[in-house]
Amino acid sequence: MIVELFYRRQALILGTLSMIGLLVFWQIAVDAGLINPFFISTPSQVWTEFLVQFEDGQVAANVGATLYCFVWSMGLATVVGIVLGMLAGWFRDVESALEPFIWFKYSAPTVAFYPLFIAWLGYGTPTIIAIAFLFALTPIYANTLSGIKNIDRDLAKAARSFGAKPLDIFLQVALPGSVPVMMAGLRLGVGRALTGVVVAELFGANAGLGYAITYYGQLMQTTKMMVSIVIVILLGVILTQILSFLESKTDSWRVDSGR
Amino acid sequence: MAQIEIRDLGIDYRKPKSNEVFSAVDNVELSIEKGEFVTIVGSSGCGKSTLLMAVAGLVNLSRGSIKIDGKQVTGPGPDRAVVFQEASLLPWRSVRGNVKFGLEMQRWNGGDLNERAMQMIRLVGLSRFSDYHPHQLSGGMRQRVNIARALAVDPDVLLMDEPFGALDAQTREIMGTELLRIWERHKKTALFVTHDIDEAIFLADKIVVMGRNPGHIKEVIKVDLPRPRDEAILDSDDFHSLRKRLRAHLAEDMSSMQLVKEVA
Repeated sequence: MIVELFYRRQALILGTLSMIGLLVFWQIAVDAGLINPFFISTPSQVWTEFLVQFEDGQVAANVGATLYCFVWSMGLATVVGIVLGMLAGWFRDVESALEPFIWFKYSAPTVAFYPLFIAWLGYGTPTIIAIAFLFALTPIYANTLSGIKNIDRDLAKAARSFGAKPLDIFLQVALPGSVPVMMAGLRLGVGRALTGVVVAELFGANAGLGYAITYYGQLMQTTKMMVSIVIVILLGVILTQILSFLESKTDSWRVDSGR
Repeated sequence: MAQIEIRDLGIDYRKPKSNEVFSAVDNVELSIEKGEFVTIVGSSGCGKSTLLMAVAGLVNLSRGSIKIDGKQVTGPGPDRAVVFQEASLLPWRSVRGNVKFGLEMQRWNGGDLNERAMQMIRLVGLSRFSDYHPHQLSGGMRQRVNIARALAVDPDVLLMDEPFGALDAQTREIMGTELLRIWERHKKTALFVTHDIDEAIFLADKIVVMGRNPGHIKEVIKVDLPRPRDEAILDSDDFHSLRKRLRAHLAEDMSSMQLVKEVA
């Protein structure tokens, strides 16, 4: 227990140290004239610029716009992915009917649909949400499907022996048993939804972190651009960590998730 | 008339790949009286579990009939409850939640579910562990929960499918004694599948010996050892002679052994 704690803390310490090391190396390499700051800026400049953008409200506006699209796309993907996944996991015919679409989704890059969405929904928020929704949908759907489909046969048999109806088996055996796999799907979905939002914002938006990245990128203002890149990274880490935490809560099965 | 009447029973399976049909059990005739403790023993692949699952109503019959109290078995029913092998507890439910599970599935309306569950948990000696989850319990404790879950629904017939098969020898012996102690209280009709000869003798009023290819009944042996029983009878002469007789049966089966996978 104590040893384990030590190793976990040690991993954290080492990870932090290597991050700090990278920042220091980055700063020194630029200061020493080894790398032109035009390509990569420096940590101190990025920090100063962050404070400026924070003061004038750009950070809040961009993060707000990106999170708005993220919440919508992730919310829709969660509802649609879980509902379709449950239906497909339970009914063989639904799975077969949905299979070709999943094949398309796996083999064709989602961004390829971008121009279509522009044509249907116009530039801006609806298109961004639609693209990010598609990004996030697949892992949520696929995990829910496999969770329900790979129901524990022994448990289902035990339930049937007590006269359980199919709906009982679905609600009391298949569903609670799938929660950990579904949570893993949501964790993957969160990362992909954020990617989807940022990628879609790169192409066409008038607010958001992705928009800020292309905007300053086109103006060749590396430092200003780096601020948004760093925020995207931090946002991704935080969101994924939240989901990892929820995931570990649900699959320990120390909590009675049925009641 | 006996409580359980099995007549000319046959169960065929279709192999998934080759589509070939094979018989898991055939020509089974068996009568079980009310309150009798019957053990079914045989080497793996003799169809003993299949026979039990047929009585539980969990597999379809190909030929013949099973009647309980004169009523044809067509599926699971509240007159029977099954104690499965180890892994049949819901891992996300507590001990109490698991014992309540069968009652919930049967839409039990004989009073407070929690109270009923706690009563059964006390019966199997797990009061202190009612809020524990299966992964926090030992194999023996998990099987106590399994037994409590089955008894909670107050079945007429208790069906047990190698419930102690995954336990070590010592725990298995303790659980056998414990099972008899619980059984003595209500004397429910019990059908117990095992491949352990000592266990089969120790528990039984009647031992059904099964052979394979296809699964059939070779012999039904009455056990007249006095009850209540404890480990002391394991050393009695009657026990030894029964053990010898069963060993001979199983050895015979082994010599004609073919590699047939047991279909649960």
